[in-house]
Amino acid sequence: MEREVIQSVGFRNTVENGEVTGFQFKIRLPYYRGVFLSQLRPGTLIVDGEIFTKEQITWCFGGEEYALDEMAVDFKTHWNPTVPAVLKVKKPGGLAQGWHDLTYGFCFTSSYMPPALQDTLDPDKESFVFMPEFGHHVNQRRMLIV
Amino acid sequence: MYTYDRKGPKRGVALYSYSAEFGLTKTLEDCFEDVHDMGAHGIEILANTHIENYPYPTDAWVENWFRLCDKYEVVPVEYGHWIDSHVLGGRELTTEESIEMLCRDLRLAHRLGFTVLRTKMPVINAALEPVENWREIIKGALPLAEKLGLKMCPEIHTPSNLNGKMVREYVEFIEETGTKNFGLNIDFSVFRSKFGEGEWKDPAFTPNVPEDIVPLLPYVYCCHAKFIHMSDDFEETTIPYPEIVKLLQENGWDGYLLSEYEGADKYDPGYEVGQTLRKQHIMLKNLIGD
Repeated sequence: MEREVIQSVGFRNTVENGEVTGFQFKIRLPYYRGVFLSQLRPGTLIVDGEIFTKEQITWCFGGEEYALDEMAVDFKTHWNPTVPAVLKVKKPGGLAQGWHDLTYGFCFTSSYMPPALQDTLDPDKESFVFMPEFGHHVNQRRMLIV
Repeated sequence: MYTYDRKGPKRGVALYSYSAEFGLTKTLEDCFEDVHDMGAHGIEILANTHIENYPYPTDAWVENWFRLCDKYEVVPVEYGHWIDSHVLGGRELTTEESIEMLCRDLRLAHRLGFTVLRTKMPVINAALEPVENWREIIKGALPLAEKLGLKMCPEIHTPSNLNGKMVREYVEFIEETGTKNFGLNIDFSVFRSKFGEGEWKDPAFTPNVPEDIVPLLPYVYCCHAKFIHMSDDFEETTIPYPEIVKLLQENGWDGYLLSEYEGADKYDPGYEVGQTLRKQHIMLKNLIGD
């Protein structure tokens, strides 16, 4: 696994029935412990200026796809910090060959942190104070599509 | 299964210390080998971090766990876990749901050979006070903990004080119930008496003196041997370790001191926390005399 949150391995266009229907990339959890899916607060993806809302992104863990509303109530499925999650995005034709700038925001709650800090979590903005063991909310990476 | 029979304070490592490296440049086996290099025999894991497929590891993973313990002469000492009652954004888990979550961890800790759990309570405020129903949650899990021979221990960590309300309430609970399956993990951050120039100090924090731990020792089943600054001649410059270890020995305390390094510099590129841990283990080895 790469130190960067957005992994270079796993970034590619996705094909269904012979047609390119979108793209995917992988992210690792920049936290020292795993989280249950309901702790996740997915945010916005920006690719070369094009905005994809959280509703347009499907998270996958262990090969299973989870819709946003499923994740919000799932406190039994666990995301281990040593295994990247796969994020799939629908986009007919996929991404063009060449470089792409990805910016993606997400964060997660912690039961042992003061609730006042949890209520203001915003996946698309950094926390008031940066703590390395919680990672950055917003991560960026420039990667190639072949 | 490997056993370590030494009495008194013993050396161990909390694998939390490897947070910045685990899964990137260190495997679980690397961590075990590093601990073995230090001559330490105790280990603390974080269930949600170090157990593959937590909370449902495969039998093959569990088999490998015991292989690692034997190979590197390591005792599974403390199982770090969380009662995540705030896990849903919209509502709190009910007491029953929290008990169910806690019991799942008790069973898994037992399956992996642990005897003590660092049970992290969900908090309700900046003073880190636990949820109001913590007594009901713990009581609901006590029968299983007793059956499996496990001790659930909240960690007492700065800015909490050993003479404060939180510890008093935990001790009252232990005395009222008479339980041997709930106790304390004392994190030595409570003894930090020195802060360098410009270092942040929580205004709510008052350091304890080492003697403050003595009346609690009957309930202390594990300690986090927190360290902040190890000097190049292997002394901790902010926490009075010689006094603390001496008190533990004089009072016949038997248990593990689990090194835990929380410094944010461990996230610096290239930082090897193992070398920082080794500095502390030179000190602990000399103080304990093992």
